[in-house]
Amino acid sequence: MTLSRKHILSLIVVAIAGSLLYFLFDPSLSNLFPKCIFHSLTNLDCPGCGSQRAIHALLNGRVIQAADFNLLAVLALPLLVYSAIVAIANSFFHQEWKQKIFYSPTFVKAVLIAVVSFWVMRNIPVEPFHWLSAGE
Amino acid sequence: MDYTTQQQQQPVVPPMRPKNWLVESILVTLFCCLPFGVAGIVFAAQVNSKYDTGDYEGAMRSSKEAAKWTKLGFFIGLGCIILYFIFIMFMGGVAFWQNRGNY
Repeated sequence: MTLSRKHILSLIVVAIAGSLLYFLFDPSLSNLFPKCIFHSLTNLDCPGCGSQRAIHALLNGRVIQAADFNLLAVLALPLLVYSAIVAIANSFFHQEWKQKIFYSPTFVKAVLIAVVSFWVMRNIPVEPFHWLSAGE
Repeated sequence: MDYTTQQQQQPVVPPMRPKNWLVESILVTLFCCLPFGVAGIVFAAQVNSKYDTGDYEGAMRSSKEAAKWTKLGFFIGLGCIILYFIFIMFMGGVAFWQNRGNY
């Protein structure tokens, strides 16, 4: 995927502004941040619940706490950052570097299994699984 | 159909592997807070498995489905965020109006 330079630059600006926002404000204390609709409707955690708090914790250097809020988001971030870096590099150096891992059938299936089992497990209110929940 | 007949029927070079939208689906699932992204990941998996069995048309269709669900999740998420902000502003406005005599 090659994005135009204009798109890439605006994405970088949005990413920096977003990071600053999530660095400065704690989503669990401020009502500036939207709540998850799925959680509001069902009182269950969706795979993304807790990711805003996790980003805030990560940006403030608290990795364990971030993993407690949303383990999957913390594990996925390095991959997403890698993907973003490849996309930026492709756009700036006019390359077509592929992100092969995302097209490996095994990897895609693993992602699907990870997301669905994470979704189920984090809603089991028993101790080994309860750690996966987003908490309140 | 065995491998050799398939080769004879499709001598054309296989088309480019269609975009599977996996990264976008993961983003929507984990950071847009909507389970629509999961549907995107399901179709992302289909894109690869269909492409690898030689079903290029099916892979193309799955790619379009993956794009549809990912975008749906993204825009619903975005719409909710915008509505949420309007709601917060409205509540802030109401609170300000109600308290205007107290200051």
